[in-house]
Amino acid sequence: MEIRIALAGNPNSGKTTLFNALTGSNQFVGNWPGVTVEKKEGRLKRHSDVVITDLPGIYSLSPYTLEEVVARDYLMNQRPNAILNIVDGSNLERNLYLTTQLTELGIPVVVAINMMDVVKKSGDTIRTEELSRQLGCKVVEISALKGTGVTEAAETAIQAAIEDKAVPMHRFSGPVEHAIAHIEEAVLHDYPAEQQRWYATKIFERDERVLQSLKIPAGTMAHIEQDIQAAEKELDDDAESIITNERYVYIASVLKSAYKKRNAGKLSISDKIDRVVTNRFLALPIFAAVMFIVYYVSVTTVGTWATDWANDGVFGEGWRLFGVGSAAYEEAAEAYAVPGAMVEAFESAAEEAGIDPAEASDLTATAVFYDDNGNVTEELPVDFAAYQEAAAIEEPDPAAFGWWVPGIPVLVGNVLTAIGCAPWLEGLILDGIVGGVGAVLGFVPQMLVLFLFLAFLESCGYMARVAFVMDRVFRKFGLSGKSFIPMLIGTGCGIPGIMASRTIENERDRRMTIMTTTFIPCGAKLPIIALISGALFGGAWWVAPSAYFVGILAIVVSGIMLKKTRIFAGDPAPFVMELPAYHWPTLGNVLRSMWERGWSFIRKAGTIILLSAIVLWFLQGFGVENGSFGMVKDLNNSILAAIGSAIAWLFAPLGWGDWQSAVASITGLIAKENVVNTFGILYGGFDEVAENGWQIWANMRAVYTPLAAYSFLVFNLLCAPCFAAMGAIKREMNNAKWTVFAIGYQCVFAYAASLILYQLGSLFSGSGSVAGAIAALAVLGLILYLLFRPYKESTSLRAKVTI
Amino acid sequence: MLDFLTENWGTILVSALLAAAVIAAFLSLRRARKKGAACACGGSCGQCACSGMCHKQP
Repeated sequence: MEIRIALAGNPNSGKTTLFNALTGSNQFVGNWPGVTVEKKEGRLKRHSDVVITDLPGIYSLSPYTLEEVVARDYLMNQRPNAILNIVDGSNLERNLYLTTQLTELGIPVVVAINMMDVVKKSGDTIRTEELSRQLGCKVVEISALKGTGVTEAAETAIQAAIEDKAVPMHRFSGPVEHAIAHIEEAVLHDYPAEQQRWYATKIFERDERVLQSLKIPAGTMAHIEQDIQAAEKELDDDAESIITNERYVYIASVLKSAYKKRNAGKLSISDKIDRVVTNRFLALPIFAAVMFIVYYVSVTTVGTWATDWANDGVFGEGWRLFGVGSAAYEEAAEAYAVPGAMVEAFESAAEEAGIDPAEASDLTATAVFYDDNGNVTEELPVDFAAYQEAAAIEEPDPAAFGWWVPGIPVLVGNVLTAIGCAPWLEGLILDGIVGGVGAVLGFVPQMLVLFLFLAFLESCGYMARVAFVMDRVFRKFGLSGKSFIPMLIGTGCGIPGIMASRTIENERDRRMTIMTTTFIPCGAKLPIIALISGALFGGAWWVAPSAYFVGILAIVVSGIMLKKTRIFAGDPAPFVMELPAYHWPTLGNVLRSMWERGWSFIRKAGTIILLSAIVLWFLQGFGVENGSFGMVKDLNNSILAAIGSAIAWLFAPLGWGDWQSAVASITGLIAKENVVNTFGILYGGFDEVAENGWQIWANMRAVYTPLAAYSFLVFNLLCAPCFAAMGAIKREMNNAKWTVFAIGYQCVFAYAASLILYQLGSLFSGSGSVAGAIAALAVLGLILYLLFRPYKESTSLRAKVTI
Repeated sequence: MLDFLTENWGTILVSALLAAAVIAAFLSLRRARKKGAACACGGSCGQCACSGMCHKQP
């Protein structure tokens, strides 16, 4: 027989951690409330007949939030065999409120007191036997994070399910019990005995959903109402408040004998940290500093070293295992730099002249030397004698130094040549697939570093504080901190961020949050940031962090402008959020979170990016040249160039009116990584994009000025997200007009921001045009007007009424 | 025919492998979209707490 056990508890009490420990799943765990909205199911390890259901975190069984509705409907309609109630041991009073309700459902309950390690560390004492006696159910101690006691908790729940005994111990005051008894008798006598009490209590509370489901006849309801009103009159309060108060009085009496707090009234370590981290003046600078460090380290330092290795090594020529022989090779390569450049320059000049370099005695070429950023450092004339002297020097073979591991392009190229693969197919695989997909995969190390930081910040509890801190900022322009939770989630990927907006009850706030969530740069935009930062700004420290703050600024500006429009006007909804205690996350949890997010990008590179790379290669490789259709030598004759040129003019005012950039922005709609994929194919000269060399960066510099590149970055950060995210917007808006408005707004806002940035930036640098500056000033003026115009709350409601 | 196969076996083999990879990528995307295990988004819908609301569970 199958046994079904439901995990129920307050938000952030550790249900998902326990669920993962019991079932071996890898569900996302976050140290902030509301991680689980839907229920999740899994089978208990080594007990294939036991199904564990992870319910969303709830504070009560009242239907105030989506999570409470999901959890309550499951418990009442599906009737699991037992409930494993996870209780945060460091916050017993609040957690036991739900317990008192669960024990009334008529389902066996086992209380698992979580975070017992924290309780013991703080010197507090919980007498579990006494608690068990008073609550009328078994109580076990666990630490879901450390995995202690979890098996015992599951086995106790299985035992409770088999015994099938549920006895609610709590009794309300006389008038309430009197009314409940009447309700059971009048309405619920046909219901199973163990369910009657819960339904009766809910009827007493006038729970609308329960009343609707029971369809009580009006006469009976009027009779019941007399009993409820009598109790309300006697206890001088409304029915719902009476029940709530009496539950807390009961909990206080239970805790009096079962719980002893060592440092009552004193500040905990979390409280002390919060005094600084959520301080009125320090909170925002601290948040800015934290995000600056996260992006700086991810993109500019540690992430770059790892990405350089991935691009130069794995997706480049190759790398040396453990770096053995690197120093010797670098010395030899440095010594060969001048003769190598001379040979290359002379042979190129000979090829252009159409003569054999070995016989070009009258030819003179110029060898050009570049620094790491692609700047010319020296020009050296090369005559025939100098060429012969340089050609006599043997180029050092990297494979001859240390333990050399060839890169993927080298290995694939060797295999394709060995089997005699056709040149066009070799081009497709090496230039299209390895070049394009490799360009994206090369940035995975940077993504992993970013995800590692985010996982740490989420798990330790800091991100929950950020929502609290941002509430103060967001409230000033009409949104609440609740809107920042989707944005936090959107840092990984915009889609779950958009989905998370469904926890916002206020429809206007929800729509505005959906429209602005994707302004925060998601993980897929990181390669674009890293590429522009490295190629056009020499890896400047400020570029990557600035991308995050551009996103925040876009949200703030959009929030203020939209809130002053009639469709979004209104006070922000109140924001109540429990701040979880800080704790050191376990290494396993952080690494798992990082890997889950990173792996999805790798998997994506093997599917949608791979398919895009193949299509792009065909489009850039074929076209009409010399009057006939076929493979083209000049990219400007390709199909891709024709498509790109048709729309490139649109982006000319933004500083990047070439067809390659236009195509990259359009392919970015398939997946944002495709921007880099496209550059890898179009600009790379078929070299790896993120190489710290001069070839690709020099190609890009020929097209972009730093200002134009930053304008391109801003546009691609803020414009419409990928198609998958647009689908999420459509689902969440559930309205075609709103979907078009949201995506249209994002594109127009991105265009306006890039236009202002580029045109006014050009004006300051002395290269701008008068027409462009006027257009940018006009757009800036319009934005400033929308920002600072007086806020007018609507005093009348217009609606179509059909009679 | 045999001469053609002998001369171009490398190209034919690589083309077949590439075609298989493309079909596998398509099927993977389709399957993932249904299950929500990992749709086109980088966040992996299967890991999203709300995935059951958008995707049929396996």
